Amino acid sequence: MSSTTDAVSSAATESSVGVSRAPKKRMRKALGTIFWISICWIGVVFLLAIVASWIGLDDPNNGDFSLINSSPSWSHPFGTDDLGRDILSRVIYGARVSLIVGFGAMGLGMSIGGTLGMIAAYRRGAVDTLVSAASYVMLAFPALVAVIAIVAFWGHDIWKITIIVGVASTPLVYRVIRAATLSYATREFVTAAKAQGATDTRILSRELLPNVLPTIISYFLIGVATVIILEGALAFLGLSVPAPTASWGNMINESRTYLSDNPWLALFPSMAMFLFLIALNLVGDALRQSFDAQESKL
Amino acid sequence: MSNEQSSIAFPSTEELSGPLLRVKDLRTTFSTPRGSLTAVDGVSFELGRGETLGIVGESGSGKTVLARSVMGLLPRSNTTQTGSILFEETEIVGAQEATLREIWGAKIAMVFQDPMTSLNPVVRIQRQITESLRLHTSMDRAEAKATAISLLSQVGIPSPAERVRAYPFQLSGGMRQRVTIAIALACSPRLLLADEPTTGLDVTVQAQILDLLSSLQSARQMAVILVTHDLGVVATRTDRIAVMYAGHIVEMASTKRLFASMAMPYTQALLRSTPRISQPSHTRLIAIDGRPPDLINPPSGCAFAPRCTYATDQCRSERPPLRTAAEDPTHLFACWNPLQTGNAGSITTAKGEN
Amino acid sequence: MSAETAPLLSVKDLTVSFKKGRQVVQAVAGISFDVYEGETLGLVGESGCGKSTTGRAIVRIEEPTSGEVLVAGKRLTGLGRGELRRARTSIQMIFQDPVSSLNPRRRVNDIVAEPIDIWKTETGDQRAATVREMLEAVGLDPDVAGDRYPREFSGGQCQRISIARALVMKPKVLICDEMVSALDVSVQAQILNLVEDLKAKYGLTLVFIAHDLAVVKNVSDRVAVMYLGRLCEVAPSDDLYALPAHPYTQALLSAVVEPDPEKATTHVTLTGEPPSPINPPTGCRFRTRCPSAQERCSSEVPELREIAPRHQVACHFPTLRP
Repeated sequence: MSSTTDAVSSAATESSVGVSRAPKKRMRKALGTIFWISICWIGVVFLLAIVASWIGLDDPNNGDFSLINSSPSWSHPFGTDDLGRDILSRVIYGARVSLIVGFGAMGLGMSIGGTLGMIAAYRRGAVDTLVSAASYVMLAFPALVAVIAIVAFWGHDIWKITIIVGVASTPLVYRVIRAATLSYATREFVTAAKAQGATDTRILSRELLPNVLPTIISYFLIGVATVIILEGALAFLGLSVPAPTASWGNMINESRTYLSDNPWLALFPSMAMFLFLIALNLVGDALRQSFDAQESKL
Repeated sequence: MSNEQSSIAFPSTEELSGPLLRVKDLRTTFSTPRGSLTAVDGVSFELGRGETLGIVGESGSGKTVLARSVMGLLPRSNTTQTGSILFEETEIVGAQEATLREIWGAKIAMVFQDPMTSLNPVVRIQRQITESLRLHTSMDRAEAKATAISLLSQVGIPSPAERVRAYPFQLSGGMRQRVTIAIALACSPRLLLADEPTTGLDVTVQAQILDLLSSLQSARQMAVILVTHDLGVVATRTDRIAVMYAGHIVEMASTKRLFASMAMPYTQALLRSTPRISQPSHTRLIAIDGRPPDLINPPSGCAFAPRCTYATDQCRSERPPLRTAAEDPTHLFACWNPLQTGNAGSITTAKGEN
Repeated sequence: MSAETAPLLSVKDLTVSFKKGRQVVQAVAGISFDVYEGETLGLVGESGCGKSTTGRAIVRIEEPTSGEVLVAGKRLTGLGRGELRRARTSIQMIFQDPVSSLNPRRRVNDIVAEPIDIWKTETGDQRAATVREMLEAVGLDPDVAGDRYPREFSGGQCQRISIARALVMKPKVLICDEMVSALDVSVQAQILNLVEDLKAKYGLTLVFIAHDLAVVKNVSDRVAVMYLGRLCEVAPSDDLYALPAHPYTQALLSAVVEPDPEKATTHVTLTGEPPSPINPPTGCRFRTRCPSAQERCSSEVPELREIAPRHQVACHFPTLRP
């Protein structure tokens, strides 16, 4: 049955006389409104996090003790927490932590793991065997436990957390990127480039990277989402950024005690995290789908 | 020996009357994102018992879709079929799956192109053969195994009693194809559809497989439809040949007649663009310009007209119907300007050719 | 093409071995041949004979285990990485799968210009002009094709793009590895004609590797037949096909199907299956299936020797049989 569809699709592609304008339009349709809404939301969060200091927000770390645990009002649209601090302001400043840890850690993981993965898939042989073996060893460690232990031991400021989580994510990123690159590295256009005298660096950057980039991007975004959740988990163990710095994880953790008195404490940071994570996943997924659709025509 | 004979079911005298297969005006359309694609566009032919029909065409001609339509093997969704395929009084078009399942394997069997994908790689050969036997006959395991071994020896596999326990990856390409033939023949079908059975196999193996098919066919009085792109494969092993282009049969005749006095310029062009070892080295091939047409938006008129050196305005506006040749009523062709009888061998210089 | 002029491509005792688990497979077991300037040598054989491996070993995409390859007198084997890279422009290769040979994410113009970009031989207008010239030479309209991606082209057109890319640096030798095997009959004819035209226009020297005997005969001046890693017979095309001397060549040629109902199908049926390359027969590798095999064939490896002008056979008991 599959070769019937092969026969059909070969008939269809054989018969397109050179030009086919359709693919570009279809890609935009496939990405859809949800994709664009999600992108906008991610942009908004980034923007707010960056300009937080300049938009006249209340001090996130010092509160007005006369207004503890108050409900949303005009002056405090998200209410205040148990120390009188404005929740809206804390949510926005808290975004910084999630963004830095999320994108920073994944950026680190992707740079190291992604590069190693591409090199291993391209060179294969001894390099591949060695690095893959190392990645198996690292993957055998329970990542969460390792992260917790190291953070507890080394210290939990934002940069240390970013580095630790970044390194911890490297073996998984390595494996994913290696697998994605392998399917291209064995194709004949890579051999052809070699036969023309291209250096390995050139082949990796100009032949392989453009093909693997879609996987890198969509996996990166989904990885960021995972790391943000991981930060939340660390916060529950008291191992995220130290108080009084706001982070979504910290806020949700603190809100546990006051759930009956002040549900707003739990609601807003959770909502913020939830919406951001959904946006990341939707964008990553939509990109992956549209690249898969292009792939099937290749 | 007696084992083989008991598994061959010769048709009764009542069944012998009438053609085995009658295809009338078959049209198969797939709905694709770009539009509806008519892969088979109004095909009609008949096949008698024990007859061999060769269906020749390039990729996109519709020959594989036609073979699968005859078998009833097309996907249910996104496929529309009109017309009639009458196999021994059973209508295949629109038949229920239960009806088809009784026919598949038992009355009609198919041999596919790539034996590695048509054989289940994790199942031993024995089970792949006996599966069909146990389904359609009342044999028990021991009988089925014995029949499987006998079938393997009929298809020329050495040491069949040992090989029957093997997995497909343990056999070479030629052996695997023999196994698929054995599976197809297990229940002595009346009709065998062979879809590019030797494409991808080595030349020497190809010759062995084709010989095998011929000898098995004559021993079992089986009709064969041989689908291929290679005119050489059908030249000496078929009774009749149908040439397909863009979903239509554009020429159909007895094999000898087709090669001796072909009428369709496409058939001639196909023949002249194929290099042959009987030609001297560096013979200029007369290639067909252009590419097969878009089946979603086929051109008006004759589908081959854009590439035909003899095309006239009539060819481009009106689609030629299938007509019979004056000298031979079994020779059908669809062309407004058929080649004159006797021109087939000579290199006709027309506009645009070397 | 006289015997006095030196060959453009010279292969001496080429051996390529692979490790398969713990066993060693000798895909190519010591073959030697010469290709002279302007000629096309066809390399033909069935699957597993090592012809593709030979092609790749010549270009050093697969590393030869031993032996020498010389292009215009310069040794290609034994060159270090940097020198090898530089030497690559003189010998190019075209592959079997037309679609997989092209980077799906790059435009045709960039694909064809890639060698120029790697070696920085031309820039700007000159580069664009060269790309145009090559695309036109292979029968594609540069204005229509240049900006498009490979996925918008058919197999035959993709193969044309690969040819354009291979010819951009004006290589001395072109290795064609089953380049028409994946194409339809009518497209195959177009590409074969194109190759003949380009050969004349650019003075190319070709090694044409294929399993289709008719295609090889059509394109080649001389043909070499391989079996299980060794050369059986080398002769001018018309001679080889008219009077093959090696039993394997005879069997191969008699098995070819011709589109001619009158042609009698009397062929020499080879007994048995090709032996495994892991454990090839001693002496002559074809002896297990050869109708003329004798005692000497299992003990002594037959060497290529000349039995007629320019006609070499590796057989102890060759017979000139039509």
